[in-house]
Amino acid sequence: MNRVESSTVVNEAAHADTDSLLRRARDGDATAFAGIVRWHQSSVFSIGYRMLGRRDAAEDLAQDVFLQLYRKLDSIESFEHLGFWLRRVAANLAIDRLRRVPYTTTYTLDAVVEPDAPEKTEDHLMTRALTRLLGELPPGPRAVMVLRYQEDRDVAEIAAALDMPVNTVKSHIKRSLTALRGKLVGTQLITAENLFEGNGP
Amino acid sequence: MSEDIEIQLRRALRPVEPSAGFAERVMRALPERAPRPALAPVTVLRPAPRAGLWRTLSAPSALAASLVVAVMLGQHVGEQVGREQTEREQRAGLAARAELMQALRITSRKLDLAYQAVNRPAPAPPPAEENRS
Repeated sequence: MNRVESSTVVNEAAHADTDSLLRRARDGDATAFAGIVRWHQSSVFSIGYRMLGRRDAAEDLAQDVFLQLYRKLDSIESFEHLGFWLRRVAANLAIDRLRRVPYTTTYTLDAVVEPDAPEKTEDHLMTRALTRLLGELPPGPRAVMVLRYQEDRDVAEIAAALDMPVNTVKSHIKRSLTALRGKLVGTQLITAENLFEGNGP
Repeated sequence: MSEDIEIQLRRALRPVEPSAGFAERVMRALPERAPRPALAPVTVLRPAPRAGLWRTLSAPSALAASLVVAVMLGQHVGEQVGREQTEREQRAGLAARAELMQALRITSRKLDLAYQAVNRPAPAPPPAEENRS
C-alpha cells in the first residue's frame, strides 16, 4: 500500500469513526457528545479567543456554542456539517457579542500563543503585533480573517458561514491585509518594501 | 522580515486549547436529555369520549340529520293519517251498503204484498135469489 492509499484508508476509518460518534451522540450517548466536544473544542475556543481577546470570554462563548449544538444535534447531517455548523455559530455569536458590547479587544498577556519551540525573538514580536492588530479590526472583517487564517477555510465557506457575498469576503481579506501591513510598518516589524507583497486570496 | 504576512498570520493564529477540564464543564452544564427510544413510540388510538350526538356533528351535518328526521316523521304521520281516512271511508261504505240492503228488503216486502193482493182469487158471488122466485 503506497502512502496515498494508506492516507485514504486512515481518512475513511476516521470518517466512519466520527460519523459513528455523531450518531451515538444523537441517540443520547453522553460519552459520544463529550468526544465531539473534545474533538472541536480547540477550534471553537480559538475562534472565540481571537474574536473576543480574552480566555474567560472565549470559554463562555465556546460553552454556549456546545450547548446550542446539544439542542440542535438532530439537525446535524454529518461530521463535516458539524464542523461547519460550529465555526458558523461560534463566529456569529462572537460578532453579536462584540456588537452588543462595543469594546476594543484588549488582548491580555495570555493572548499571545507561546511558541512550542524556541522561536526567534523577531517572529515572536511579529506574532504579538499581528494578534494585537487583528483585535483592532471591526467584528465582521476580524471574523473573516480568523476563519481564513486560523481555520484555513476557503472564501466560499467563509461567505456561507457569515452570510456574506463571496466578493465581500474577498474585499475584507484584501483590505485587512493592507491595513495590517500598514500598521506593521508603523511598528517597524515590516519594512516599506515588502508592504505590498502578496494580495491575499 | 521577508516572509509574507499571510504566513505570519497563520503562524500567529495557531489554534489554542481551552483550559483543562473544559469538556467536563460543558458536560456538567448540559440539560437533561432523554435517550432516544429504540423504536418509534406506538401511537395508541383511543376512542373519543362519548359526546352528545349534536356535539359531535358539525352544523351542516346536524341540519342534514334534522331534515332527514323531519322527512321520516312527516312520512310516518302521513301514512298514519291516510290509513285512518281509508278505514273511515270503508266504515262509511259498509254503513251505506247496509242501509241500501235494508231499503231493498223493505221494498221487496212491499212488492210481495202488492203481488199477493193482485193475484188473490176473486170472492165467489153470493147465492142466487132465483130459488125464491
